[in-house]
Amino acid sequence: MEVTHSIRERTITENSLVVLLQGIHGHVTTVDLRDESVAKGRIVNVDAFMNIRLAEVLYTDRQGRATHLADFFVTGRNVRYVHIPDEVNIIKTIESQLQKIHRVRNFGGEGQGRKEFLKYKK
Amino acid sequence: MADEVEQQQTSNTVEEPLDLIRLSLDERIYVKMRNDRELRGRLHAYDQHLNMILGDVEETVTTVEIDEETYEEIYKSTKRNIPMLFVRGDGVVLVAPPLRVG
Repeated sequence: MEVTHSIRERTITENSLVVLLQGIHGHVTTVDLRDESVAKGRIVNVDAFMNIRLAEVLYTDRQGRATHLADFFVTGRNVRYVHIPDEVNIIKTIESQLQKIHRVRNFGGEGQGRKEFLKYKK
Repeated sequence: MADEVEQQQTSNTVEEPLDLIRLSLDERIYVKMRNDRELRGRLHAYDQHLNMILGDVEETVTTVEIDEETYEEIYKSTKRNIPMLFVRGDGVVLVAPPLRVG
């Protein structure tokens, strides 16, 4: 559930619903792909563009043939649905992910570290 | 911790089309998607890409088969129920209140 190091990705994530997908790292979910195939596995990582990496995956293709894959990566564009597990509290997950991003952004204290939003002194 | 969590002000007036979707939050809605799919569920969240989180959703996939002999079109639909679904916005075509039949 680590926050990405890229400022750009943090901003994109913070302003869209991808934060929820980033909060459910480690959960077993089913991802329906755009081409009607299905991948069910443990979420390893989701980035700002909804690219998803899964582990220990049962991949069922369009024809219904199932295979086991140790590692699985799908580009965000090819995702249709992500089934959210029942045990996930959506509001709490989103809030805690946003707090993590704010913590990373404010790291370094006052006057130290590179600030994400520069305050211009006139 | 002394960090402030910025509270975003949400206006109550309808200014842009996305605000109309905001009015449907926590209501049951009908979503038409690409590839002849329809979803009916409770809207829990949405964003500017129209990524949505729907609860208690019923997905309907409609297919057309052409009969070899009579050449008539047979419409078949498959339904399935999913308790909580994240929908990627680029598949969404339209969002509306649930259709009333009859």
